[in-house]
Amino acid sequence: MSSSVDTAIFVKPPTRVSAYLDWIQMLTGAGLILFMWSHMVLVASVNIGPSVMNTIAWFFEATYMAQVGGPIIGATLLLHFILAARKIPYTSDAQGVIWRHARMLHHTDTWLWLIQAFTAMVILIMGSVHIWTVLTNLPITAAKSAMRVQGGFWGVFYLILLPMVELHVGIGFYRIGVKWGFIKRSGRKKFHRFENIWTGAFILIGLITIIRLWTLPIAGN
Amino acid sequence: MEHETFYTDLLCVGAGLAGERVAIAAASAGFDAILLSLVPARRSHSCAAEGGMQAALGNCAMGEGDSPDVHFADTVKGSDWGCDQECARIFADTAPVAVREAANWGMPWNRVVAGKAKYWKGGEEFEAEEKKDKHGLITARAFGGTAKWRTCYTADGTGHTLLYTLDNKVTQLGVRVHDRVEAVSLIHDGENCTGCVARDLKTGKLRVYLAKATLIATGGYGRLYSETTNTVINDGGGHIIALDTGLVPFGNPEAVQFHPTGVVPTNILVTEGCRGDGGTLLDVDEKRFMNIYEPAKAELASRDVVSRWMMYHIAQGKGVPSPYGDHLWLDIRHLGAKHITTKLREVYDLCRHFLGVNPINQLIPVRPAQHYSMGGVRTNSNGAAYGLKGLFSCGESACWDMHGFNRLGGNSLAETIVAGRHVGLKVVEFLEGAEVILKSSLADQGVAAMAKRIDRLVNRTDGTENVYAIKDAMQLVMMEKVGIFRNGTDLQAAVDTLREIYVKAKKIGLRSSGIGANPELALALKMPGMVRLAICVAYGALMRTESRGCHARDDYQARNDRDWLNRTLAYWRDLDADLPDLQYEPSTKVMYMPPGDRGYGKTEIIPMDAPKED
Amino acid sequence: MSRQLKFNIFRFNPEDPSSEPHTDTFMLEETPSLTLFIALNKIREEQDPSLMFDFACRMAICGSCGMVINGRPGLACKTLTVELPEEITLMPLPVFKLVGDLSVDTGTWFRATNTKIESWIHTDQEFDPEAIEERMENDLANSIFELERCIECGCCVASCGTANMREDFVGAFALNRISRFIMDPRDKRTDPEYFDVVGTDQGIFGCMGLLACEDVCPREIPLQDQLGILRRKMAFQGLKNIFKPKEKGRHRRF
Repeated sequence: MSSSVDTAIFVKPPTRVSAYLDWIQMLTGAGLILFMWSHMVLVASVNIGPSVMNTIAWFFEATYMAQVGGPIIGATLLLHFILAARKIPYTSDAQGVIWRHARMLHHTDTWLWLIQAFTAMVILIMGSVHIWTVLTNLPITAAKSAMRVQGGFWGVFYLILLPMVELHVGIGFYRIGVKWGFIKRSGRKKFHRFENIWTGAFILIGLITIIRLWTLPIAGN
Repeated sequence: MEHETFYTDLLCVGAGLAGERVAIAAASAGFDAILLSLVPARRSHSCAAEGGMQAALGNCAMGEGDSPDVHFADTVKGSDWGCDQECARIFADTAPVAVREAANWGMPWNRVVAGKAKYWKGGEEFEAEEKKDKHGLITARAFGGTAKWRTCYTADGTGHTLLYTLDNKVTQLGVRVHDRVEAVSLIHDGENCTGCVARDLKTGKLRVYLAKATLIATGGYGRLYSETTNTVINDGGGHIIALDTGLVPFGNPEAVQFHPTGVVPTNILVTEGCRGDGGTLLDVDEKRFMNIYEPAKAELASRDVVSRWMMYHIAQGKGVPSPYGDHLWLDIRHLGAKHITTKLREVYDLCRHFLGVNPINQLIPVRPAQHYSMGGVRTNSNGAAYGLKGLFSCGESACWDMHGFNRLGGNSLAETIVAGRHVGLKVVEFLEGAEVILKSSLADQGVAAMAKRIDRLVNRTDGTENVYAIKDAMQLVMMEKVGIFRNGTDLQAAVDTLREIYVKAKKIGLRSSGIGANPELALALKMPGMVRLAICVAYGALMRTESRGCHARDDYQARNDRDWLNRTLAYWRDLDADLPDLQYEPSTKVMYMPPGDRGYGKTEIIPMDAPKED
Repeated sequence: MSRQLKFNIFRFNPEDPSSEPHTDTFMLEETPSLTLFIALNKIREEQDPSLMFDFACRMAICGSCGMVINGRPGLACKTLTVELPEEITLMPLPVFKLVGDLSVDTGTWFRATNTKIESWIHTDQEFDPEAIEERMENDLANSIFELERCIECGCCVASCGTANMREDFVGAFALNRISRFIMDPRDKRTDPEYFDVVGTDQGIFGCMGLLACEDVCPREIPLQDQLGILRRKMAFQGLKNIFKPKEKGRHRRF
């Protein structure tokens, strides 16, 4: 063994960790956005007819995509949360700073970030509960979903979770666009408007779906 | 007195372009340097120079055939033969090197684009062919009083970009910059200057800087006037501490320039580049007039000449009436939106933000405003101040004296880094040979004296005069009576009033506590000094019974080369006195170019060899 | 009838032991073309000579007078009172150390950050006073100037959520500055070297994309676009040679 002291420990080597983490945060975010929108479209198929939804659900289970994909989505959600949470202040001091800052600034995009930070917490808890409940009670059928919603508690549960998810996803979509430079200064306003309409549309579809499930005659299945 | 003390080789009072350039020279030669600045260095007034700096590169089509010789001749003519021709020569020769050096440090000079290009002159469009072999080299634009297009530029943010470029260099070299520190008196033993007593403007505490060499690079004294394009920090602070030694003279204090295009009412400057690029001046009938008064140069005669014709034209009833007094119009509409939003972008922004005027389709209200101080701390060609060893000065604060009685547009920005380069090397030579004894006892005395002054102001020992009222009174007198057109009666009245104001200035008492970064105390400390400077300007102007460059006397309209081909040296030997001692020295020791006609501006000339009158 | 303006101004003198942070109210009659520069000077000269604030150029090019005007960081000199309601609240810029009242120490902060990001042209090319300058395309010079227009007023930093929460974040100004050097062929730094400077959470990856910087910048510098370009550039740089071990010899040393 060399007798010399390892002087390298005193020099901070250039690290790529931040770059990797930023990539992963963006990619998990983008993946979850795509998943959430697809998920919403699939669930909304119940509006066409319960059998359509059942067929789609059957397809995902027959191909084991639900059994494998479900936990992967759960893990992705957790990973994304941990990465993004690096940016959320941990101490109450820092939380106070950003809260006062946002209140002072009257700046939409800053508020949007606070909304994201808040919805992230809600989604982490409620989303996990939802994933657990669904995955431990396979197969997914329109009847089971309807029964859950009609139970009352779950109805309210989804009425809360729905806007949380759609806001978070919509804002996240916009944020990736501006952060990574896909949306330019000249297109920002237009994109902002598009994103509002897009998010609104998804919330609306979600509401219709919840109402549909709430009113779906369970015996008829 | 307890105080912090800093030791260094070179102390630069002022961290604008000139101060930074000298500091870079010293640091590059391995010497330690400290820069003091009233504001963060990058906020210095150098950033406000918009149009560009002159250097005879001769790259652009309209600059073809240019050389340092032509630049030298333009500068001497511009000065109305009031300059030191040795310095003007050094300047013209060094300017191209300084421009290229700045490029090497990262300055994004605009470049020649080969091919046919459309330009404007006096409202007329014309075409010129930019040569292929010059493509990509540093280009230039036209400025007033020049035979060739010679003003190198970066859009109209030249001073800003140059200042950032140099400050980057300062950062790279690790030069210490102490911003928000104000030098309040020089430390000297009657022979050598060894630093200064300073006040930390963040805390109000006094401190000491001991240095082998001290440089004053604090810019001009425009704030002696109420209507000035200068920033609020151009209050002559450096001149005050030099003059207060009683040993260092204030050279040509009366040489004060008025810029033709200050915006009405805020006196914000719109660059000469507007006229250089083809903008015109219009009167109340929206008609040009400069082409009538000055057929050859029209809007591009030198600043003193254009300013005078503007005031003359207004006096003929041709001004545009406004609640802020009569003004004239600057018209750049014909240059087109693209030119205005790129090459004159700052002008475009400030017109919209401060005036609510869009210069692409509207006229800009303008009127001459105080702009530049040709006078300053008198130095030799090495930048060494008269009267004290180890004291140097450079840039606008100095009377090096390449500008004489009128500075050409684009020559001030150039002076900062050209003279800065030259003086920097001389400072290095001085430091290499310096055997300096730094005496802390002198510093202690300086601090004690300043602390006593502060106590007296805070405790209102000497009186209760309001410092702001004194400042306003002084600025008003200067503006009304020591302005563009001067005469004996007004100047005498100005001197008399200023002497009365000086008495009051010595009886200032603070209305606030004076604790910490107190702005009232900062002003009160320098107010008597500012009034002394104002008296020097007015008295120097009163005594100079001729018209030369920007010094235009109604009662002595001729340029008198027989009696006044000289430079005023104002000494303030006794702080209890209320007038300076004026001495005179020849304008220039070497005469490469004997006095002649400028080619613009109607002047009667009394030649050097004219017989004396009794 | 001109308006009576009500100014609520933050007051605190850290050097004065008897001073406590509080708000003072001043009334001022509005005059035509009144800017906050004129208004604050009037208040100082006529009502309270101890009021601390910073101005220099008073034409929006020096960056001295950044302050929080009715909640938004901006340059006081170019703010016309006509654009504001009758009640105007002025606060010092956050993030920077308070000197007193509305005055903050931006100089120290910016100099430290500029030193940290090595804001200068890195080259080993000696200057030759005899040689003509190196050529450059005029369009490139203009593009560099577009980013070089930053006046370091601090508004982007003060309005930045990240900079408010974490002290070591360099802010949009520094990221824009680095973009300027990346663009400049005279700076011989390579992408990996730039990555070492800003490829961190103190640099571009700390930016959360809130775009307040873009929205308050008094110089309208295209910060959104520049930050986007820089993030992509640095992110891809981070992926380069991802599978190549950085120090090959390290494990074989013994």
